[in-house]
Amino acid sequence: MKTHGHIITSIFLIALAGAAIYLASGWSFKTGFFPLAVAIPLAVLALAHLLLVLFGAPEPVAGGAVEAEFSADVSPELARRRAAAVFAWIGAFIFLVYLVSFPVAVPLFMLFYLKLQSSVDWFRSLLLTIVTWGFFYVVFQRLVHMPFETGLLQSSLGF
Amino acid sequence: MIDALIDGLFLVLQWKALSLMLLGMGLGFCVGLLPGIGGAATLALMIPFIFKMSPVEAFAFLLGMHSVAATTGDITSILFGVPGEGLSAATVVDGYPMAKRGEAGRALGAALMSSLIGALIGAATLALAVPVVRPLVLTFGSPELFLLSLIGIACITSLSGSSMRGQIRGFAMGLLGLLLSTIGQERQSGALRFDMGLMYLWEGLELVPVLVGIFAIPELVDLAVRGTSIAGDRPLENLRGGVIAGIQDTFRHFWLVFRCSVVGVFVGIMPGAGGGVAQWMAYAHAVQSASDSRDRERFGKGDVRGVLGPGAANNSKEGGDLIPTIAFGVPGSGAMAILLGAFMIMGLMPGPEMLTKHLAVTYSMVWTLAIANIITVVLSLAILNQLAKVTYIRGSLIIPFVLLLVFVGSYTANGQIADLVVTFCFGLLGYFMVLWGWPRPPLVLGFVLGKLVETYLFISVARYGFAWLAHPIVLLLIALLIIVIAYPFWGGKPAWAGGGD
Repeated sequence: MKTHGHIITSIFLIALAGAAIYLASGWSFKTGFFPLAVAIPLAVLALAHLLLVLFGAPEPVAGGAVEAEFSADVSPELARRRAAAVFAWIGAFIFLVYLVSFPVAVPLFMLFYLKLQSSVDWFRSLLLTIVTWGFFYVVFQRLVHMPFETGLLQSSLGF
Repeated sequence: MIDALIDGLFLVLQWKALSLMLLGMGLGFCVGLLPGIGGAATLALMIPFIFKMSPVEAFAFLLGMHSVAATTGDITSILFGVPGEGLSAATVVDGYPMAKRGEAGRALGAALMSSLIGALIGAATLALAVPVVRPLVLTFGSPELFLLSLIGIACITSLSGSSMRGQIRGFAMGLLGLLLSTIGQERQSGALRFDMGLMYLWEGLELVPVLVGIFAIPELVDLAVRGTSIAGDRPLENLRGGVIAGIQDTFRHFWLVFRCSVVGVFVGIMPGAGGGVAQWMAYAHAVQSASDSRDRERFGKGDVRGVLGPGAANNSKEGGDLIPTIAFGVPGSGAMAILLGAFMIMGLMPGPEMLTKHLAVTYSMVWTLAIANIITVVLSLAILNQLAKVTYIRGSLIIPFVLLLVFVGSYTANGQIADLVVTFCFGLLGYFMVLWGWPRPPLVLGFVLGKLVETYLFISVARYGFAWLAHPIVLLLIALLIIVIAYPFWGGKPAWAGGGD
């Protein structure tokens, strides 16, 4: 799994650095120097990494990077499904914000997530939604006066 | 000087100044807990309220708020894996795994106590350094600052894996961070780079959506995947005992806390380098202090030293930050630039006057930093037990609420939907990086330092050509850079460094 990940990431980095080199080489020296100075070694390192993964000896397990690790208690298949579900919820939330703006999207997202994803009963879902919306309204709208963009729906309806 | 120091204390302890400081601390506490809304943004929001205050009252209010926000930002980093501020991201790396292990109380105790020690060291340095810091700051021009930024980036080596491929991955991620920092208008010519025709990218990528996306989203996804509480099925720890253990950890690793505080002060003094840099450099130093490769592997998986280092640096840099601001009117960070505005509103001119005529006001700032942090830590310790219990609430109830905080926090960057999209994209990137074992800290370090490196390099070349490479301090810093890069390849800690910290 990690080997596939290393190959995909290396190719992604090579493509990204290649695109950066291509674009930056058309700029003036002052504008393009730093991106080139970064992108060229990035492409070289990513290529070296790809070659090592494909043709080198297996990497020792010990001595990994300083980095968190995901829980291994859940089967990879279930983990993938659940992760995809969370990203889908996040995508839906962003679309909801775009459609109806934050003040409306917050209670809607909270209620639907609790009811559909977390399987919480109606009473607690509504209660937590009201508490969250109250917190959001008091802190971000009344105290901080955060300016939220109008949603597409409100704009098209002329609100 | 002693008279001014005592006068400064009495000025802060006057009821009105003290009340305003407590009010500011209350605001700072809440702001620190909310992801994305940084201390700098809150300082800006509060500036209009200081017009009728005296200078001592105004700085007690503003500095009390700012210093507390830095402390409480660590709380959400530890409890939810969500950086309360851009400055608190390094605390996530080891603080959140501790919470997942059921040691939230210990991590919080360690973070708060190291923050207090860091803040006191920062305040003491400010008190002692103001009269003597001038030569140091004037010695460091753009070439030296460029080299210092490179040294910061070179810390990547200690955050990457010890194998050759691990090092390559670390450097590649650092370079990716640097490349991402070049998006937007080039500062000298104004030419657009990698903007993809989007006006949103003209100003470049903002730190908050990038940080929050790359650190918070993968942790929330993992929480959803596990389907448990943050602390999982682990038994409820003896929270009070955990907090005390964290405090004891701070004193057990006092030398490390002290060194990381010094790192924070030093980064704070250097213009342009913000608290995020201080935290990551301190974290890298904590990793470097590991006695061997096995000890080093504990970092990232819930080692208390990974909480102590960033906690100390985060607060000590406040004192360091104030030094160039007060002494020369050169703000070291965005927050200090806003504070400089407060100086103007109060009719104070940073510079020699602050060290002579208004020395008592200067020392009142030192006392504010010290007193505000002491009160915050004492009050926080009293409620830590309740805070740590949050890690035992069912994850599916916490996730939607924290997601909302994450995205509202990201939205504060530019107030555009695109901020949310950037957070989502970096969330995906962060998820796959963790899944496939590519380190996130080097990417963040490169991204944070990228603009600085480019600016200092440009000024150095424009001002000196390549003659700056022969400056004596530059040569010294190049030697230091080589040592920092070569350090992990020595196969562990050199004999002179001794064991532990």
